[in-house]
Amino acid sequence: MSDALAELLRHPALWRGADAGAPETLPTGFRALDARLPGGGWPLFTLVELLVPAAGIGEIRLLLPALRSLTAAGTEPRWVAWLAPPHLPYAPALADAGLDPARMLVIRPRAGVDRLWAMEQALRSGACAAVLGWTGEARDPMLRRLKLAAEEGRTPGFLLRPSAHRNEHSPAALRLALTARDYGLDVEILKSRGGIPARVERLPVH
Amino acid sequence: MFQEHPATIAPATASHRRALAPVSAPRAEAPARAGELWLAAHFPRLPLDAVLPGTGQARAAVVTALDDPRRTVVACNERAARQGIAPGMGLNAALARVPGLRVEECRPAAETALLDRLGRWALQFTPVVSLEPPAAVLAEVRGSLDLFGGVMALLRRALAGIEASGLSASLALAPTARGALWLARAGLAMTVTRADAMAGIASQLPLACLDWPGDTVATLAGLGIRSVADLLRLPRAGFATRFGPRLLDELDEGLGRRPAPRRRLVVPERFDERCELSAAAEDTAVLQPSLEHLLARLESFLQSRASGIRVLRVDLLHRGAAPTRLRIALARLAGDAAYLRVLLGERLGRCRLAQPVVALRLRSGVLLPLVLRDAGLFERGRSADPEATARLLDLLRARLGQEAVFGVLPVPEHRPERAFRIAEPDALAVLPVPWTAGRPARPLWMLAEPQPLDGWEGTLVTGPERIETGWWDGHDVRRDYYVAFSRAGVRLWIFRERPPGQRWFLHGVFG
Repeated sequence: MSDALAELLRHPALWRGADAGAPETLPTGFRALDARLPGGGWPLFTLVELLVPAAGIGEIRLLLPALRSLTAAGTEPRWVAWLAPPHLPYAPALADAGLDPARMLVIRPRAGVDRLWAMEQALRSGACAAVLGWTGEARDPMLRRLKLAAEEGRTPGFLLRPSAHRNEHSPAALRLALTARDYGLDVEILKSRGGIPARVERLPVH
Repeated sequence: MFQEHPATIAPATASHRRALAPVSAPRAEAPARAGELWLAAHFPRLPLDAVLPGTGQARAAVVTALDDPRRTVVACNERAARQGIAPGMGLNAALARVPGLRVEECRPAAETALLDRLGRWALQFTPVVSLEPPAAVLAEVRGSLDLFGGVMALLRRALAGIEASGLSASLALAPTARGALWLARAGLAMTVTRADAMAGIASQLPLACLDWPGDTVATLAGLGIRSVADLLRLPRAGFATRFGPRLLDELDEGLGRRPAPRRRLVVPERFDERCELSAAAEDTAVLQPSLEHLLARLESFLQSRASGIRVLRVDLLHRGAAPTRLRIALARLAGDAAYLRVLLGERLGRCRLAQPVVALRLRSGVLLPLVLRDAGLFERGRSADPEATARLLDLLRARLGQEAVFGVLPVPEHRPERAFRIAEPDALAVLPVPWTAGRPARPLWMLAEPQPLDGWEGTLVTGPERIETGWWDGHDVRRDYYVAFSRAGVRLWIFRERPPGQRWFLHGVFG
């Protein structure tokens, strides 16, 4: 490409079709992971799926830097919704991690059907800075609804599911499989919009 | 209880015509408004009835004053009174008479609430009701006498109502509100209908019925004044200089020589309508059209008053069974039917009908002024609707129940299980972060109860952090906490009980 053309392309009035597909992203806070993700971070305003072999291997710590910047001082006062978490989020630890506990909204529906409904409402409402959902069993059309709700409500949705769902089809824009190794996390990028499958080893989430 | 009294009593005698007595009043002063007739109800045991409602005569009981080292008895029930206890007595003296006495401290908030309820009840007799805290209700009933069939019928009805609710009151009627109050406080069940009779009656009353401050009464006692009759003999100017014009005004008001406008009890307006169903409904979906109708009425009701509500109640009425009551608390002030319809729809969808529904009743909570906000020109796109958080909360709670949605707040406390509390979610609150500098890390997940870890295998990483506290409230904790990894690679927060326990427990997961 000639210098003249490159200069022309930098003109602010010029809009190129190739830019349109680029998703808005938010750095994950882990450089090794950002380097492998298209756009250099979590895709915002859509559904991200994290597959974990056991609850608690470090999936929340992987999300912490993103949650911090989504709720940082100066942002709109919106909630981080925790939908049907396996245990109660512990307020002192949230405060230690730099999250404002007053912004946490815990939702514990009794029935499984209500989990999907509540997650959809939280995503669609635009009242949440992020929604973390432990929905358990969910078929493809239901996940599609969640993705649509996240896009309409312009809210990042993080779906945390057991590794058993790894080989199922999922409409999530980004799918990561996490495994614990040597006190760190191995992250396998199963699916990403505009990216290629990749693997990041021993992410220091501690 | 209530005896017939002569409708009028002779006007003041000559001896009263000096000083504070009525006739000496200059004619220029406004007389009591012609024709007013006030019913005063004084509830001498209100402090007791407010704290121990309906305990009646089962056992001697007293209520004592707040912040009073002597714990003076302010009210006692009839059984206690029969055993020699009287208001004004110290608690020790009362206990000496009745050792098994039930003692409660008075609760001013409960008294205010009870008086307010009594005021609302009195509104059935007349629209002009006024409260006289701490323990009396006044009602202007002249216009209602015909409706209720005369003074005696009205009094009987009022007394029956009071007795039915287990309260005791003394009632009196007089041409002035304050005059009626004096009579009621004095326990004289009298009816005085003529304004010019008030002074004559008043002169027979004890000084206590004026309910004046203790130091004033003491000063008067020092002057040899022990009854209202004595008081009325004092010269006006001297009295005003000595005790202030307010008490003189009170006397004039009571005797009808001075108009006494009173603050009327205004009951906050609410929406309350019902709708009969053409056929009994077995399914909540069938209720929708009727509900729609009621909600539309509620909406226009609220719109015309520029108000919104925070609480909505729906009663599903059954035939021959108690109604199913639904209550929806809103996180934001709302007034539009569309919004309420969505919430009610979710709430009804969760509700199982045990009985067919024959009618619906929709009631609003207190109306609150709605502050209208312009939809700003630049408030579009990314900018979140500040009400979105409240709407989401309402919607989730309508379907999942109030307790399924909550927030968690940290509490400055060393015991891990007490270092947080479940709280009302509030995205707008800004919390001071409790002091935790230098403290070892805490796990992001907390188990509801520590789980025993018998025969567990894993790796200890850091520790111990000794937490040994809480001995003063019986929930003492003596533990050594460690960070450990399970075989699956999950970072855990575990503890070992300090001797003699020595068992291992899982308390948190770092997530």
